[in-house]
Amino acid sequence: MTAAVTLPSAPPRRTPTVRQTLRAYRAMGRAAFRSLVAYQTSFLFGLLATTLAAVAMLYLWRSVLAAGRVNGFDWPAMKAYLLVAFVAGSLVSSYVDYRMAGRIQQGDVAMDLVRPVDYQRSRLAEALGFGGYELGTGLVVAAAAAALFGGVPAPAHRSLGAFAVSAVLVLPLRFGIVYISALVVFWTRNYVGVQSARIALITLFSGSLVPLSFFPGWLQGLAAALPFAGMASTPALLYIGRLTGADAWRDVGVQAAWTVGLWWLGRAMWRGASRQLTVHGG
Amino acid sequence: MARIEADDLRKVFRSPDKRPGLAGSLRHLVERRYSEKVAVDGISLRVDEGEAVAYVGPNGAGKSTTIKLLTGILVPTSGEVRVNGIVPHRNRVENARGIGVVFGQRTSLWWDLAVRDSLELLRDMHGLSTAEYWANLDRLVEMLGIGDLLSSTARRLSLGQRMRADLAAALLHDPPIVYLDEPTIGLDIEVKDRLRAFLRQIVAEGTTLVLTTHDLGEIEDVCSRLVIIDHGRIVHDGGLRQVIETYARERVMHVDLAARPVSLAGIATRLAGATVIEERDGLGVAVTFDPLAHTAGDVLTAIQAELQVVDLRIKEPAIEDVVRRVYAGQLIPGPDDSPDDSPDDSPVR
Ligand SMILES: Nc1ncnc2c1ncn2[C@@H]1O[C@H](COP(=O)(O)OP(=O)(O)OP(=O)(O)O)[C@@H](O)[C@H]1O
Ligand SMILES: [Mg+2]
Repeated sequence: MTAAVTLPSAPPRRTPTVRQTLRAYRAMGRAAFRSLVAYQTSFLFGLLATTLAAVAMLYLWRSVLAAGRVNGFDWPAMKAYLLVAFVAGSLVSSYVDYRMAGRIQQGDVAMDLVRPVDYQRSRLAEALGFGGYELGTGLVVAAAAAALFGGVPAPAHRSLGAFAVSAVLVLPLRFGIVYISALVVFWTRNYVGVQSARIALITLFSGSLVPLSFFPGWLQGLAAALPFAGMASTPALLYIGRLTGADAWRDVGVQAAWTVGLWWLGRAMWRGASRQLTVHGG
Repeated sequence: MARIEADDLRKVFRSPDKRPGLAGSLRHLVERRYSEKVAVDGISLRVDEGEAVAYVGPNGAGKSTTIKLLTGILVPTSGEVRVNGIVPHRNRVENARGIGVVFGQRTSLWWDLAVRDSLELLRDMHGLSTAEYWANLDRLVEMLGIGDLLSSTARRLSLGQRMRADLAAALLHDPPIVYLDEPTIGLDIEVKDRLRAFLRQIVAEGTTLVLTTHDLGEIEDVCSRLVIIDHGRIVHDGGLRQVIETYARERVMHVDLAARPVSLAGIATRLAGATVIEERDGLGVAVTFDPLAHTAGDVLTAIQAELQVVDLRIKEPAIEDVVRRVYAGQLIPGPDDSPDDSPDDSPVR
């Protein structure tokens, strides 16, 4: 027996320093990255599906644009647009999603409530950790597709700053939507339907397959107001230089506002959900 | 100093009354009907620092639900709860720093990680220093015998191995309060013994322990206080010895005889209030008596006055007897006011 430790009976737990708190979340991010082996299959199949869809869209748009520019898009710009949208769409698409919903359904979320960390920040940390992997594979696939389709232009100089900000916002924004849709499981007890609905909404309103400028005017207006544009359309348009100047920063502003708004909406939902939580079994 | 204070805690589960199938779901949308289940029905409890409380009761009594209320996992329907001076469900993060929890049927380990990685993650979450971590880990590894398990992925562990790893995960940060909800599911006898020794030790060192279990041996070994709950209410709360004295006071003296007796009536008349039963095909007698009414010596003298005694044993009441009675719905205050052979007595709640 190593009798060196005495279990303290009373010391009020010291409040952790900022550094300790960061260490906790960094560790969770790393753990998410490390558990990717277990999620590899679902992740790779998801990647395969989105890759095939993206390649199909590339072929489709190439033949559409063969005759010339449509709606202001020429073929090289469209290629770049679709690939940026593809990489953006690969973020926060597997780990947090399945894990959170699964744990809520199984009641294992109970164990998350007795951990000394904030639930939402922990999930964000995991999304960031796993996001490293998603971003890496997304970029590799996009580079391969770019090579297959004869290269893509570099990001437009005029909107480079706005693009950088927008690109950084993609992950937390997507996290907000994924987090909220997984929390819905507290009420629906079913995730498949919620997930399909979310994917359908994102696919349509993020402009990841068809740029939003191809929509009729009223639908464009609606899409611009929704959070989904910031998940693909905004960064992709900035990359190809279709959004510049004040317009660029306005759209990045909308994207940032939604990122923050969804974060707080998620917080409110979590409070509600964990107040009326019932845990099955045991 | 009270570590845990619960005051009139109630938890009512409301679950939708849905008929099966799509039609049932649609119907539920139109007319919402719920059924209510009172799982915890007005529980008040004070647990002082360093106390070890056994929390027992039949299946569905509300034990796990109480633990979930005390740990802040569930929000009570009404009533108050304070643990370490804070309201657990309002301040879950701070609460989690001061408690360790094991639910036998759930794991707090990360399924996809090696046990060691899970423990390191918990180290970082609790902000333990390297020195604290290693000291605690060494001790837990030794007490729980989990040295070989550290490099296995949690999902590959057997039930008993997982339980041990979970115990280590719950105790890694030296929590002043530990809740264990059926922690011995799946443990073999050797590990159970080791765990008991370990629990005795942390209690001796001042850890407050709340333990639910169906393994009554564990209670006698580790706990000094017994709380019995049934239908969401506390039916008894008291010192373990005192409970046995109150509810299972009678002793049974088993006597082996040289020859078959003609009659046992003589013994019964000598010992008012005792029951005398024939055993071993007439070659034995069992006398059930209240030690406050008759000493063991009196009983033996009475038997010897009538019969020739070859051998004898006295059976002390065990915690099992108390709990078995509660489970059977016939908890009765002592053998003399209300004898065993009137099971139609209304159960005490
Ligand atoms: N989420 C829930 N929704 C509805 N009813 C529930 C829920 N959880 C528990 N119950 C009910 O509450 C009662 C108490 O359950 P609890 O799990 O606390 O029992 P227990 O004392 O731990 O039993 P056991 O010894 O079987 O573990 C049971 O009747 C159970 O069916
Ligand atoms: Mg239980």
